[in-house]
Amino acid sequence: MDFPSFAQLLQYIFDGLSVGAIYSLLALGLVVVYRGTGHLNFAQGEMATLCTYGVWELHDRGLPLIVALVVGAAIGFGLGAAVETTLIRPVAKKSPFAVIIVTIGLFLGINSLTNGVWGPPPEEAMPSLFPNKPDDFASIFGATWRYERIGVLLVCLALGAGLLQLFKRTRFGLAMRAVASNPESSRLVGISTSHVLMASWGIAAALGAISGTLVAGVNTSVTPGMMFSIFVYASAAATLGGLDSVGGALIAGLSIGVVENLAANIFPDWIGQSMRLAVALVIILVVLLFKPSGLFGSSKVERV
Amino acid sequence: MSGALTIEHLSAGYGQVAVLDDVSLHVGDGDLVVILGSNGAGKTTTMRAISGVIPRTGAITFNGQRIDKLSPDAIVRAGIAQVPQGRGTFPELSVLDNLRAGAYTRRDGEVAKDIDHWFEVFPRLGERSDQRAGSLSGGEQQMVAISRALMSRPKLLLCDEPSLGLAPLVTQEVMTVIARLNQETGLSVLLVEQNANLAMDVARTVYLLETGRIVASGTPTEIAGNDAIRQAYLGY
Repeated sequence: MDFPSFAQLLQYIFDGLSVGAIYSLLALGLVVVYRGTGHLNFAQGEMATLCTYGVWELHDRGLPLIVALVVGAAIGFGLGAAVETTLIRPVAKKSPFAVIIVTIGLFLGINSLTNGVWGPPPEEAMPSLFPNKPDDFASIFGATWRYERIGVLLVCLALGAGLLQLFKRTRFGLAMRAVASNPESSRLVGISTSHVLMASWGIAAALGAISGTLVAGVNTSVTPGMMFSIFVYASAAATLGGLDSVGGALIAGLSIGVVENLAANIFPDWIGQSMRLAVALVIILVVLLFKPSGLFGSSKVERV
Repeated sequence: MSGALTIEHLSAGYGQVAVLDDVSLHVGDGDLVVILGSNGAGKTTTMRAISGVIPRTGAITFNGQRIDKLSPDAIVRAGIAQVPQGRGTFPELSVLDNLRAGAYTRRDGEVAKDIDHWFEVFPRLGERSDQRAGSLSGGEQQMVAISRALMSRPKLLLCDEPSLGLAPLVTQEVMTVIARLNQETGLSVLLVEQNANLAMDVARTVYLLETGRIVASGTPTEIAGNDAIRQAYLGY
């Protein structure tokens, strides 16, 4: 192992932050759903992929990418809301375990759907939302930071901040926090829990559409399995951040991106590119063993 | 607007299990009515049926309007608020957010004014407005639950066993608050209790609920004058 130079180290951190921003975005979707219903949506990544194909189709038919993304996010919202009302809610009444099975089923179903419809070549080429010509980068102390990567990070931070404001300052955010805290009392103060849950799934899927489009832009194409490993990292981020904390998911996603990138590059021989995913799994395991409520999660302590 | 509630032939339960069987009762405008019953008599089920959070059959009329087919939020908007059993605050939310959530159905601009008002009435809540409700004492949480219910500006307040799990002195304080609200603001109150002595002090009308049926009703004096009832519920 050669110890990296300062410029190299900075480079690993920049790259890690950008890739971590993607994990954060998907993790935010997981958190929004978990807060409302206590469920982990295993199909979050695949729903994102499906929405990204939607964005690609719209863009392919001549819509500017940014417009296609906004429409795609809106479609994502509808998809999430529809999944909650038609698949999750009827099953959740019977057993929480069954919901896990349904989301795993959704994962497999959407995965084969995208493979079947768009899988075989030609590839669905996706342009980037940000400037990504070869010389579109900033040089910082010898490290390069591509504008596209900076853009991804900024989108992630902006959406995270927006989501925090939504939770903290709006009437709808208050309703979401109330439903997460005590569903029965929420109904007694006149909050329609069904609307809140529907909207939570909708918001999560819309976030997925955005993260999927960013991923495809960085990869330069949409592929059916593109969100799979990202979903694993995102679950690690959500777990590390505490599952119900927006800020926690954001910070955890970025940290995991940096840590796995540093680990893969500083120890190329025994972690390297092939073992990167193991870093995420180790993080999930360690967090669950030593701090099950995550770093920023609210432990349910109540004085009676 | 009147806070009068009339229940006729109300039945309700959970799935196949029927809990309430043909319950009828009346709460006059500005009245304070107590339903007395032991554990499992159906007191909480009655309250949940009125608030519309469980399936029910029968006629419930409030303020001249049938409410037995309405959704819980429409019932809150119609003017009925509930203080649920065991307080039912939002423990992870601040005291202030608990009160804001109580005003969820309101669209007028006077919510902040009302919050100030209840913080004046319950100064201990005002001092703890930024604390998580779950960190408060049982009595304080009961005050949070009551002021949260009042934030919807109800005409009828449903109180589900406010004495549950509270020390006797605190219980006395809570009962005094409820009785004062009833006397000073003309708020109708329907309260369920199993602590008979406590309930008899504040009630104007008492109903006895046994295994899902109303078995007796009358003024506290009438109820206390009946030897069988007195022995069963008041223990002397």
